[in-house]
Amino acid sequence: MSDKQKGDTKDEDLWADGESGHAPDAMRRRILAMAGSAIALTLVPGVTLFARDLQGKRTTKGADKGPVRYGLLIDARHCQTDCDACVHACQTYNGLSGKDGPDHAQWIRKVTITDPKTRFTRSFPVMCQHCADAACVAVCPTGASFKRPDGIVLVDKHRCIGCRYCLMACPYKARSFVGHTLTDQKPWAPRGKGTAEGCTMCVERVMKGRVPACVEACQKTGHKAMVFGNLHDPKSAIAQKLADVATTTIRADLGMGPSVHYRGI
Amino acid sequence: MRARAGIIAALVVLLSGVGIWLTHRGPVPLPVIARASGHCVIQTSVMRRTHMMLLRAVREEIVRHDASDARFRLTRCVACHAQRTAGGRAIPVNAPGQFCASCHAYVGVHIDCFSCHAAVPSGSAGLLRGPDGGAGNVKGRAVRAAFRIARVLHGRFAATRVGDVP
Repeated sequence: MSDKQKGDTKDEDLWADGESGHAPDAMRRRILAMAGSAIALTLVPGVTLFARDLQGKRTTKGADKGPVRYGLLIDARHCQTDCDACVHACQTYNGLSGKDGPDHAQWIRKVTITDPKTRFTRSFPVMCQHCADAACVAVCPTGASFKRPDGIVLVDKHRCIGCRYCLMACPYKARSFVGHTLTDQKPWAPRGKGTAEGCTMCVERVMKGRVPACVEACQKTGHKAMVFGNLHDPKSAIAQKLADVATTTIRADLGMGPSVHYRGI
Repeated sequence: MRARAGIIAALVVLLSGVGIWLTHRGPVPLPVIARASGHCVIQTSVMRRTHMMLLRAVREEIVRHDASDARFRLTRCVACHAQRTAGGRAIPVNAPGQFCASCHAYVGVHIDCFSCHAAVPSGSAGLLRGPDGGAGNVKGRAVRAAFRIARVLHGRFAATRVGDVP
């Protein structure tokens, strides 16, 4: 109504309030802040559980500073081109179909790279790199994509709306989308239609003190190309190895700080 | 004109009566709640009223806050409440007439837990045990949070003061 009366007033003038200048903006902010606290107060005590995340940080910066950060070291020199034991182990353990194509999720895949000039060839698995500053977490509009304090990046499928931003954002193509109804999921790996998913670093196993399924399978083949452990524990085998030999991460130039390190690529 | 309207009205009334007579099946039968193996992790009366809140709170703690030792995880519910066929095969808890489905069908509530979660236990007991081999640390954050919520909600539903609830 007031807009109409002002006629051809400029946009800036519509937001100003005569003598008080920018006061309405500040007032609006105060009202919004008060509304926020009012919501927090009116909920039953237990529901502050949910409020915590609303107020929590959405960036993963600094998330790699804790005492635990799980990571992998993949020695591409020992990884065999014709071996995909890790891929099969992942599929079996997590209940993935194992089929190819856009309808079927893949959490870990084998990649073979060749330098066309020198014919230098390496084969190695690529999965979610559990980045310190993960793009999937940054772009997720609902906070479903998140990073645990121990460095594992997961999808909270209760919150995932299936927008697939994370699939687009991830430079490692580590995320998959479940497009059809699933049955016979594993109890430790709930997955369902309409949600994004990716490598969980076998979080259920890791919490029980076991290594991820892919690492276990790699050890069994005898190639021993994968090491799992706490990157932030100087006594762990993986930390000692990383301190000892030259390793790299894929697309280190992106500065996302992957937890998965590679040797020999 | 008036007679025609009367006939139509009479027909409508008659057909509705026939329709109701044909489709009427009496009151909806009460759900048959299958007995679980063992004891529930919390008082049954509390669980009946607040299980949806508990699961909601605990899923938040388990997925996002690393409360891997929670007693209230859905896998544990399924482990005890899934019935078995004569051959020892587990029946999904969301199958018609089973533990979850019977009540939710009765009250007309759609649950989509099992579009992602397994509705049958796995392994010997289907229990996901903690590193100590036990059922988990009962002093875990999730458990405390769940109990807190259960008390509040139970107090509300039972119209008693929160402090009165054991």
